[in-house]
Amino acid sequence: MGMIGRVRSQAVDASKLVTDWMEHRTGIVTMMEHFLFEPVPKRGAWIYTLGSLTLGLISLQFLTGILLLFYYVPTTDHAWNSIYYIMNEAYFGTLIRGIHYWSANFLLAAIGLHMAQVFFSGGYKAPRELNWVVGVILLLLVVVIAFTGYALRWDQDGFWATVVGMKIGSYSPFVGGQTIRFLMGGDTIGPATLSRFFAIHVWLLPAALAPFIGIHLYLLRRHGVFGSEFEYTERLAKLHERQRLERFERYEEEDGEPNTGRRDRADRDGSE
Amino acid sequence: MTRGDFLGFGVLGAIFGAIVTIPPVAFVLSPVIKTDALGQSDVPDDWFEVGPISEIPEGEPKNFVVEFPVNQIYSEEEIINNPEAVKTEGEVIPNAVWVSWKTEILEGGKLGKTQRPAFVGEGGSLSQEQIQEVTASLNVMSSSCAHLGCPVRWLVREGEGLFLCPCHGGLYGINGEYQGGPPPRGLYNYTFEVRENGMIYVKHEFDIEPGLNKQQPYVV
Ligand code: HEM
Ligand code: FES
Repeated sequence: MGMIGRVRSQAVDASKLVTDWMEHRTGIVTMMEHFLFEPVPKRGAWIYTLGSLTLGLISLQFLTGILLLFYYVPTTDHAWNSIYYIMNEAYFGTLIRGIHYWSANFLLAAIGLHMAQVFFSGGYKAPRELNWVVGVILLLLVVVIAFTGYALRWDQDGFWATVVGMKIGSYSPFVGGQTIRFLMGGDTIGPATLSRFFAIHVWLLPAALAPFIGIHLYLLRRHGVFGSEFEYTERLAKLHERQRLERFERYEEEDGEPNTGRRDRADRDGSE
Repeated sequence: MTRGDFLGFGVLGAIFGAIVTIPPVAFVLSPVIKTDALGQSDVPDDWFEVGPISEIPEGEPKNFVVEFPVNQIYSEEEIINNPEAVKTEGEVIPNAVWVSWKTEILEGGKLGKTQRPAFVGEGGSLSQEQIQEVTASLNVMSSSCAHLGCPVRWLVREGEGLFLCPCHGGLYGINGEYQGGPPPRGLYNYTFEVRENGMIYVKHEFDIEPGLNKQQPYVV
């Protein structure tokens, strides 16, 4: 055995030792197996990654969002300046903010595709109805997070988009006025507005998002991904068998024999 | 569980439930309680100076910026008025106010006669009758589009001017009247007055015609 082969087998032994040690003490390996291995239908397996894509983009939002907080200042007199600093002074500031911005956009697209996949495959049907409900809650949370995040820029774009968004909300029946006064923190846009949008964007809704993601994944694991319960090859085989029988029966009919079905024929065969 | 237990738990649960929910909910909703239940406003109920009527041209609106002081978080009234406090931005909210003389619109959209009184610009203080005449001849309009609130601006094309909203293309004429696009009505007018010194003053509220929902517009 050459040098490289020896090193490789030693490394394998060492890692086995470490994983065994961890497994005995924490059960981590079985846990990982449980979390990571999931039967997925053979056909169209790629389309089942849309949910993971959504989860990945949300994780990216959390990571880049936390990084942005190292410089972002949520006050009307400094918010714009702090983003200017992120964009022009901080190393990779354009990258971090750019990821947060673009990932927010792609996130909504990914959620849309993910929902479309579940809808068209019928994945929302029993027993998975509740996971659809939880998914809709997640969608609404993400939409509101994206809306409140845009205000944080506190530039002309973000400001007027926020005004427009709030005015749309203000036309809701009965609670429209109260809702936007809650968001504005009074009866005008001002310092309170930015603070509230900040609190909602960075703390309230991300904190609310996390448990619902947990429930979503738990329910997913409980019932498995839709379609995994039947192997497609098996269904296909059954279909072919049925078609073969039907063809056989039609053949008998044309032959002048009465079409009495399989059981009848078996009975007759026995009596002869 | 006995009846007594049940009632005891109910009463205790209600008390503790109230103790843990009322403070945070009232904390977060305090601006709503103050504005909706107590009728307070973030902007003092005063008159704020807009500008002199002599600066308003004929056949074209004039834009003034009014800085309304706002009581919110770090711009509370005591802090704004305290000369020793550090001044911060965000103590005022600048609102753009469009002012124009009421103008006749001829057929085909051309501008007709302007109701600009002849004595405007002569200097000297105005008499009561003059004030009345000026007040009746002015449009004091919010720049906030009646659709969804974006700031409109005056755009002149081939000699004809219109207010254009940048957000969804709402159009208004020189009197603020609806001309096109998604807005459901014309521009909102401020509650205003003209004083002897020839200046316009506004309150931070709109003069909403009777019959309209008083609560609109929600975002000033
Ligand atoms: C579902 C998750 C999230 C979405 C969809 C989202 C979306 C957005 C959007 C659209 C913006 C405006 C970006 C821009 O126009 O420049 C923004 C800004 C911001 N977000 Fe998030 N965000 C999410 C999560 C978070 C989290 C978890 C944090 C922090 C813990 C965070 C912190 C920030 C900060 C500090 C800004 C202001 C900086 C800037 O505007 O670039 N975000 N977010
Ligand atoms: S906000 Fe002016 S047209 Fe929509």
